Amino acid sequence: MKRILVIDDAATVRLYHREILEQAGFAVTEAVNGLEALEKLETGPPFDLYLVDINMPKLDGYGFLRALRKKDIPQAPAIMISTESSPSDRADALMAGANLYIIKPIKPDQLLPLVRGLLGEERQP
Amino acid sequence: MALKKGQPTPPSHSPGERQDARNLETLLQTLLDEDPSKRRWAARDLAEHPAATGALVSRLRRETDATVLQVIVTALGCLANDEAIRGLIDCLYSENAMLRNTAIEVLKELPDPVAPHMGELLHDADPDVRIFAVNVLESLRHPQVEAWLVEVILKDEHINVCATAVDLLGEVGGPQSRDALAALKQRFPEEPYIQFAADLALKRIGVE
Amino acid sequence: MPKSTIISDEDFQKFREFFYRKTGMLFEDSKRYFVDKRLLERMTATGCESFRTYFTMLRFQASGAELQTLINAMTVNETYFFREEYQFRCLVDSILKEIITHHPASRPIRIWSVPSSSGEEPYGIAMYLLEHWPQLEHWDVEIISSDIDTRILEQARAGLYASRAIQHVPAPLLKKYFRRMGAQYQISQTLREAVEFTRVNVHDTADMRSHRHFDVIFCRNLLIYFDDLSRKKTAESFFDALNPGGFICLGHSESMSRISPLFQIRRFPEAIVYQKPLEAR
Repeated sequence: MKRILVIDDAATVRLYHREILEQAGFAVTEAVNGLEALEKLETGPPFDLYLVDINMPKLDGYGFLRALRKKDIPQAPAIMISTESSPSDRADALMAGANLYIIKPIKPDQLLPLVRGLLGEERQP
Repeated sequence: MALKKGQPTPPSHSPGERQDARNLETLLQTLLDEDPSKRRWAARDLAEHPAATGALVSRLRRETDATVLQVIVTALGCLANDEAIRGLIDCLYSENAMLRNTAIEVLKELPDPVAPHMGELLHDADPDVRIFAVNVLESLRHPQVEAWLVEVILKDEHINVCATAVDLLGEVGGPQSRDALAALKQRFPEEPYIQFAADLALKRIGVE
Repeated sequence: MPKSTIISDEDFQKFREFFYRKTGMLFEDSKRYFVDKRLLERMTATGCESFRTYFTMLRFQASGAELQTLINAMTVNETYFFREEYQFRCLVDSILKEIITHHPASRPIRIWSVPSSSGEEPYGIAMYLLEHWPQLEHWDVEIISSDIDTRILEQARAGLYASRAIQHVPAPLLKKYFRRMGAQYQISQTLREAVEFTRVNVHDTADMRSHRHFDVIFCRNLLIYFDDLSRKKTAESFFDALNPGGFICLGHSESMSRISPLFQIRRFPEAIVYQKPLEAR
């Protein structure tokens, strides 16, 4: 089962993503900010994908991705989730190491194809 | 070589550091020192000098070292006078995400001095600032939190401001939020996240 | 029992998320019975008839006193020798090994244990070093231990313990480092002379300024009781009390990731600890 790390400071958002992803057959781990996400990397097996909010306390999404990309671990794709849509944010997210940048609110039928695409999985019947 | 009885600070280290005067004037000068560790010590000590608030706020705008920024924000949070609160609120408009998020964390802990500014922040023209204002409400121990959140989900036109507020209503919402949550669902019928979060909040409020 | 005193699934979820955010402690579903029981006890003690009333007090009480009491009720807060021993193993097998790669040989390695409580932790560290760190032959180590409570500091200096406190001390160590005195055990004079006890209020800037140049700080199960701002402030003071490359060890349910971004996360085989970057100024 592919493992996805959902990083967002809002509990409801984490729960929302968890339900969507678990129903689609993924295993979900949660972190409340970028630092806690980095800590999860240290304590368990590697993840196959990261779903990263931009604005979070302690360490934001950019900071998490920059730290992640410097780590000597198997790298996995990351989707950066923002509430803003100014062009510089997108560029910043990609520069920091995101593979995709999407804007909230997120719809399940938008998220799942992106996740499957990044994981190189066929769309399920 | 062995276990030895030590002193709280070894006398041989960094001669003179403990003799540094800690009066207001010297501290304000040290806040501009080129050594970040000295700036952190100065900022920490200045948290006990309300007269230093302005200097801390203006240092906040110029400071480039992330560790010093953290300590200055904490110091302003400890001072918590109106000048300090305004300085922290200004950070919500900053392009520096770390500074912004740290300011939000500190503002959350200061219900009384923050409350008078909340109305204005929740009506800021920039939806991002409104989202940050809602973030401040997350842990704010203030009786008006629920009322502010209800107003946001009833009136704010930006979906992501409402989305942030509805997340918190799952925790702080009482029966008086029920109608507003139902109205929010009506306002954004095509948005699965809003439907999900509002339903969750309604479920948690429960029936009484 | 009236219907309102039952904690519903939704109440539990709501409480779990709140408590997780405030303390970093996450209760699995399997802990439900334990959590409900503690919550109901606190509701009775505070005269709250419904979970909602209690939760509102917990969330909005200005002093935060009830949250502290609840954290106490949810954690097993016992002091005894070799509590969370894996961190002492981490100290001798990983942390000190790294510190001596860059520490000036002319200076002692300095360890700060806060809060000292009645001394179990600093004396435990001293014993661990004597028993399990052969490098002690080549290095001087200073152990400073501090507490806000002067009575408990006197107790720590005296080093007298009831049998419950020493239950996890292996028999050979008990023989070597303790002396039986009636129903109590006293820690050996050598160890009492090796640890310096000082009074420190971690919220007091002057107290904190007088404690510096440490290589390792143990601060276990203290910050969890503070509000976010005090926690952040204390962590920042610890940052400046550490030498560059120094480490801080927190309690097993605590995480610096909830407190301050100043430190780096370090994973050692025995434990996760936090480090002031070696290049930090």
